[in-house]
Formats: sequence, structure tokens, C-alpha cells
Amino acid sequence: MILAALALAEGVPPVTLWAVALLSAVSLGFLLLELRRREGKGGRGLLVTGGLALAFLAASVLRPARVSTRGVSVGAQVVVLVDQSRRLLLPSDGQTRRDLALGTARDLAKHFAAARVSLRGFGAGEAKPLLVEDALKHPTAADLSDESDLTSALNALAQEPGERPKAIVVVSDGRFARPTEHADEAALRELSTALDAPIHTVAVSERAPRDASIRSIRTSGATVAHQPLALTIEIGCSGGLSCGEIPVTARELRHGVEPFVLASGVAKLAGDSATVELGITLERAGARLVEVSIDAPEGDTIPENNRRILTFSVTRDRLRVLHVAGRPTYDVRALRMWLKSDESIDLVAFFILRTDQDNTETTDDAELALIPFPVDELFTEHLPSFDAVILQDIDAVTYKLARHLPALANYVQSGGGLIMVGGPSAFGGGGYARSPLESVLPVELRGNEQPFDTADFVPRYTEAGRSAPVLHGVTELFGDELPTFSGSNTLGAARPGSIVLWEHPERRVGQGAMPVLALGEAGDGRSIALGVDGTHALSFSEFADRAAGRAYGALWDGLVGWLMRDPRYEALRLELAGPCIAGLPASLRLVRLPGAAGDVSLELTRLGPKSAPLLSQRIKNPAPGPLELELGVLEAGGYSAAARAGAAPPTRFDFACERGGASWSDSRPDPERLARLARASGGKAVSRAEIADLPIPSPMQVAAERSSAPLLPAWAWTLAAALSFGAHWYARRRQGLL
Amino acid sequence: MSCRFTRRAALTLPLSLCTTRARAFGDGGAFNPRLLRAGNQAPLGVRSSGAGRWSWELVRRTSAPARLVPGEVAADQPALQAEPFAIWAGLADPGLLSAAEVRGLTRFLRLGGVLLVDDVNPAAGAFGSGARRELARVLPESAPVRLDPAHVLFKTFYIVDRPVGRVLGPAELTAIVRGKNTQVIFLQHDLLGALARSGEGFAFETEPGGLEQREHAIRLAVNIAMYVLCSDYKDDQVHAPFLMRRRARQKP
Repeated sequence: MILAALALAEGVPPVTLWAVALLSAVSLGFLLLELRRREGKGGRGLLVTGGLALAFLAASVLRPARVSTRGVSVGAQVVVLVDQSRRLLLPSDGQTRRDLALGTARDLAKHFAAARVSLRGFGAGEAKPLLVEDALKHPTAADLSDESDLTSALNALAQEPGERPKAIVVVSDGRFARPTEHADEAALRELSTALDAPIHTVAVSERAPRDASIRSIRTSGATVAHQPLALTIEIGCSGGLSCGEIPVTARELRHGVEPFVLASGVAKLAGDSATVELGITLERAGARLVEVSIDAPEGDTIPENNRRILTFSVTRDRLRVLHVAGRPTYDVRALRMWLKSDESIDLVAFFILRTDQDNTETTDDAELALIPFPVDELFTEHLPSFDAVILQDIDAVTYKLARHLPALANYVQSGGGLIMVGGPSAFGGGGYARSPLESVLPVELRGNEQPFDTADFVPRYTEAGRSAPVLHGVTELFGDELPTFSGSNTLGAARPGSIVLWEHPERRVGQGAMPVLALGEAGDGRSIALGVDGTHALSFSEFADRAAGRAYGALWDGLVGWLMRDPRYEALRLELAGPCIAGLPASLRLVRLPGAAGDVSLELTRLGPKSAPLLSQRIKNPAPGPLELELGVLEAGGYSAAARAGAAPPTRFDFACERGGASWSDSRPDPERLARLARASGGKAVSRAEIADLPIPSPMQVAAERSSAPLLPAWAWTLAAALSFGAHWYARRRQGLL
Repeated sequence: MSCRFTRRAALTLPLSLCTTRARAFGDGGAFNPRLLRAGNQAPLGVRSSGAGRWSWELVRRTSAPARLVPGEVAADQPALQAEPFAIWAGLADPGLLSAAEVRGLTRFLRLGGVLLVDDVNPAAGAFGSGARRELARVLPESAPVRLDPAHVLFKTFYIVDRPVGRVLGPAELTAIVRGKNTQVIFLQHDLLGALARSGEGFAFETEPGGLEQREHAIRLAVNIAMYVLCSDYKDDQVHAPFLMRRRARQKP
């Protein structure tokens, strides 16, 4: 195809055109003014010759040329944006909305065959190129996003350099995160303004499924241990499902035990949604998994969104510690002073200062500053409010603690921390052997043996003790050296999974050395057994003086920190490499902290009552740096991964996998929003069956060859101008104007 | 050696068993009222038996374990740092402490030790003033202050209204307080004299006298021991309402 047009000669700047036009207009103006003042005949001749003279003079300056262009016609660019949110995995018409959307994208490519179609997927952020065949085969967690943010995708498109699309087609169910359902016409119009192109929409689903779901869960403020937290839960009902009253329950998923019911309520649905508020209190800090579920009525077609598992990062205002001691000693003094010196610890202490056998030489208890040991109150009503319990040399039988040991064991299983500190009345000597509490201690107790030994000894570090971050503070000050302790409790073998940090150099348990300091996991909690009553020697002794008594604080910082899962005292850090979506492959990233060496082992279990591991793997001497561990395809639920590097104590990481999560919380498509969006931008909203109705934008002409030739040579224009001026001069003379 | 611990049995053990052997299990953290030797002080004589009686009374009246024969320790010996309590008692001015003694006491107090300064001749007051002078060299930044009557020392086990010893002495206690810890307690009551034994009875009569005064002196000793073992435990909020009610009953 050839196109022709007039243009100025090459090298003549546009400003020349304006200058010539201005001068010609002024000259013509003067001529007209002169002719108007003069009365009589012959004015027309003057005007014609003057005008011609000016025109030829202008042409001789501008030298007009004829420009010919040869070009081709190409299809307009059309961008098809396909929703890539996880929400599109919702079922629709026997398939998923995603299958329908990808099929629609394929159909659109055919419909716009005359145009240049660019297929892109959008989720959060800018849209990315999409290959339909690949997307249909194996969607991975990375392919799908939690939400569909069309606003960001369109804004990113508008800022791309190069050719602008002539039309945009959005394929979705319309339930965008942005633009929201409350966006007005002006906001929707704004989306297409920068692109200067119509936005057409194709609704992949138009009918709401019969579904009762948890639409949203909101909390106010930070989640702090022991402090009440309100969950505002919106329950929705759609597709004509009859919902009425729907029970709602919040449970905490815990390791090794049944989920703990935190709160429950009933949502009374008058319209298509209702809100219920549940007050919960999480007692333990760290990552806590809370499952919120509804009992959906019969006919619910999407059971996956009847349950959400939220991970709360629970912080502590202060660490609440219960310190109970059977008698006052220098060891009790040292521990109390350390606990009191730490402003982050809220200490509740009870020491037994008098026994029934003591003779206080008083006639009235009012002479004594003693209060009854509130054992029942402490170990029933108040027990869950403590983050850690320290039992120091206290006889469980004498002080009526024995009847509360099942509750104390449950407390540990449910996430509490326990430290049993040695002394004549600790462990077997305090009636703990064969008690429920024994099962949560990291060591077995030997009830039929002497409960303690009086021989002085210096404990020995185990390999785990040397590498455990929990003892780094002490080893940095004293290396492998420890003070002499006056006797030791009789402890049994370490339980499976427990770690011994100090052992007795002479006393034996079976073939191995007797543990002196051991750490263990028990259900959701942790426990520590310390079989000596003399760690105050790290605070006040000739030995302690070498480090100005700092080793005591270092030891207890580590023990309490480990008990409370302080990351500083873990050998590893675990995190999900990406979102964990049920039914899709998931993986964990494992980072070893400095000093953690050796083989890495990982065990994956479901949160809840004890069950066989879902996965066990061991990596022999892995290379330094982060490791990515494949977990395979997991079902929806809470999981606990325990990883260990070398001999160091294991690190636990709890996480949740959801099928749809927040993406599936509202299963209703929103074709109305798609229609409003199309209308605001001058586009068209259609269903999948109406794709053929979408207008195909006109093709573009692209120039391939251009030539330019002057209409006349410059001298011809000049000659014509001279002749015209001559004629004009002659006419003036005839009219007597010269 | 393995054994079954009974605290009551400890009271009946021959004293000789407790003097030499390394501490038994459970005894490592027992209260030990060691007598401090510092300066050129004269021997305490029979008053030194008051330390053993202190332990005996503590074991008899409370659940706390104690060393029944406490022994002595010199200010310039590393053994001073072995335990967090010592009694510095004397009749006369102890004179200038050596540099090693000052260093030893400084380390003891910096580690958090508690020192009881007992002037056993309060009428003269020479030991008390000499000890204050020397402790000012040990802790130049900390001056003695009068303890509030509500101080935890008066309620660690017994509810005590005022300090007494062999003599009635001043109605208040003075002490050097570092941070939140009362570390040096000054007594002008001859507490060791009230506790000292001679044969089957007490070595000294109390002045102005009476069984009640000796009982109150023993109670003060028990409270000091409990302070050393439990620090400010009785200042915990949980005890406050009980103690307020009991004090109200005692003072109609």
C-alpha cells in the first residue's frame, strides 16, 4: 500500500513555515487595507496579483515537496490477562475455574487471531507471561497467588515501554482483591485512562456455588501471651444454601495432644452473612496455630473453606515464671536473684520455709511472716498463666503437689516449660518417680534406688553439650571446665529424643553415663532436668569469681531461653520456602547457625495426638549454607517439623497447610464487578460463550519505505514570484498607486 | 556414699562429723554463718559458739539447712568467695585492713555476698566505728543508710519490730545497700553474744534481760539467715496482704 502527502522540503524547519505564514498574512492585510481606503475600479487585479506574488514568494522559501510512503498493515496488540489466584482452583461446572479460565484464554487467542495476542497471568503485582499448556499441566504453589490484584497488573502494563495495547481482555471470576467491590465508576475508569484502551472482561463463572464458608477472620492489636484476643469471624452463605445458625469453634493445634478448644459460638445468618466474635487467650508465645472451623449445613459443596488455620506470632509482655522451692538454700537464693534481676521476667515464687516438724517457738502464727503454700490454687487455677514452672528440690508428696502432677504433665504437653532442679527432695527423692510428671521429664527416674549420691564430682560435657547453643554462654567463659558439685540426684537414661548436655563421670545408667543435665520435648512443651543442687557455684564461689559470677546468668539465660524456644538458643532456623498449599508440593528452608555442624536430620509429623512421622530424612554432611528440604505433597492441616544438626538439640517449627486459605473464603463470583469495569473503560463484558462478541481492534499501518520529491525546482518558484511582483507593479502603476 | 536425707537427723549428728567432710548432697547450699577474720581483731572467745547456735536454731525452727559448725574464714583467703555470707564481729577497733583483705572483701561484696558486722561491745562502739571506716575503703561509693522499719529483714520469717541482741541496742538497723540488695548489715546489739553457748546454757545474760529478749535476738538471727537464703522473697506482692493483716493484729 502506498500513501502520498505534501510536506516541506527536507531541511526546512517548521518555524520557517510559521514565519512565512505570518509575513504573508501581514502583507495581505496591508494590501486589503489599502484597497479598502481607495475607492474606484481595478482593486480585484491588484488583489490577485499581490496574492499570487506573496504565494509564489512563500513557495520559493518553503519549497513544498511530495512525500510517498509505502507500508504494511499489522494486527493490533491485544493483552489477555488471566486470573492466576488460588481462588480459581474453586470448582465450577465440574471443572475448576482455573481450567475454565485457561480454556477461555485459548479461545480468545483464536478469536483475536487477526490481532497480536499477548497472554499474561496476573495475581499479586505485575502480570507475567502465561503459557496455557504448561499452566494446565502442573500448577505449582509459585504459579498461584493468594489474591488477584488487577489494579497492580494494569498499572504495571501502563508503565511498560513500547507499543500500547489496543484492547485488554480480563479473564476472571471478578472477585478481585483490587479493584474492590466498592470501587466507584471514576476509580474503575481511572484504570484504563493511562492505557487509553478499552478493557473487555470475560466471566469464567457467574453462578455462586452452594457454599457456607468462613469469609474473613479479623483480630485487633498484637497477639500477646496470656492476654485475651478477640477474633471477629464473618460467616457467609451463598448459592441458595439454607444456613440459619452455624456453630463456630476456635481450637489451638498442639503437638502430641488433641486440639485445645479455645472458644466456640454460633453465627446466626439472617441474610447471606453473619459475624460472630470469639474471645481467645493464647498462653504460649511463639508461632501458635489456631484452627477456626464451622459446622456447615447439609448441601455445602465446598467443605474446604469451612476451616481456616491461622498462624499467630504470639509475643510475650513478660515471661511469667513460677518458682517453687522445697527449702531455702544458697541455690534457691542464686536462682531467685537471677530471676528477679531480669526485668523481662514476671516472677511468682513460693518457698517452703517451715515444715510441720519445725518448732518456731511461737504461740500464735501471727508472729510469723509465713503464708500457707497455695498449692491447689497455683496448680489448678493459675497454672496455665505461667510460661515456665521451676520445681526446685521440693517433695511432691509432703507438700501435696502429687495430686497436681497430672495437671502439671498436661501443662507441659500443652506447651508449658518445666525445669526440675536437683536436691534431696527432687526427682526420685521427691516422689516424682512413676508419677505422671515423669513422662514429661527428659530422663527416666529410678524409683527403687537411692534418690541421690553424696560424692563430690565434676560433671562432664557431652558432645551435644559442647555444641548446644544453650550452653555457649558458659563454655565461652570456662571452656569445658565446670565447678565441683556436692552430690547428684539419681537420674535414669535419657528418654528417646532427649539430649544430655552434662553427664556424670562415674555414675552409670546401663552402659552409659548417668545424665546430669538433660533437655527434652514433651508434646507441645519442653522440659529440663538438672540433677544437681549447686549451680550457685557458678554465681558465688572461688570458681565463679574467675568470671565475676557471670557464668550463672549465662547458664540460666540459656536454659530458660531454650525452654521458651528463644531462637538464640536453637542450632537451626526453619521456615517455609513458599506458601504451603494442600495438594501442591511444599518445601522447608533450613539455615544452620554458626557452630551447628554434622548430619542434618528432619522429621515431619502432624500436629495433634502422637502419630508416626510422615517423613524422616537425613542428609549426610551437607555443604555449608541454607538447605532446601522437599516435604512432598501435604494435606490440609497443622504440621510440626523437627530438625537436628549433628548432636545439637533439635529445633521445632510448626506450620499450617491450607487448601484454599483466604483465597477460597468467598466462593461467589462477581460478574457485576467485571461488567462495571468494562463499562467504565468503554469495553464489553461477556460470558465464556459470548467471546465472539468481543470487537477486534483495527489493524495498524506500519511504514516500510518513504520518498520525497519537490513539486517544482526552487528557481521556478522564484521566477513565478518575480513575474507576479512585476505584474502587481504594473497594475499599481495603472491605478496610479505609485 | 549414698544416703537418705533427713534434716532432722542432721541436728542429731555428732558435730565432729560436720566439721571436716565435704558437704553432703543438699548441704552445699546450706546456710553457713562463717566468722570473718580481718584486721588485727582479738579472738571472739566463747562468742564464736554463737555461730553454731545460730545454725542450730535455724534448722530447728525453719526448713532451711545450715552448717552446724560454721568455721572461720580470712578476708584475704579465696575461701571467702566460696559462700555468700560471713559475720565480722569484734570487741575493739580492727585496725587498718591490709590491701589483700580489702581486695578480698571487695570481691566478696561485688559477687553479691552479705556481710553482717556485729559489734559485740556496743557500749564502747570501737569495733563498729572501725569496721565502718574500713568498709568505706572497700566500698567507697556506698555509705551506710538506716533501714526502713518495713524492710524485708524484719519479716523474712518472723515479724520483728526492732533488732535486739545481748543488749537492747538501737531500735533501728543501718546497712550498706547496693542496687536492690542489702549487702552489709551493721548491728550494735552483740547478736553473737545472745546466741553464744557455754556448756548446757547460754554464755551471757541478756541486758536488760529476760527470756523474751533472747528469743527476739534468735528471731532476728533467723530473719537475717532467711534474708541471706531468700533475699527479698517476703517483699513479693503475693505476701503483702497477709503481712499487712498480721502486723495490724500485732499492733492494736
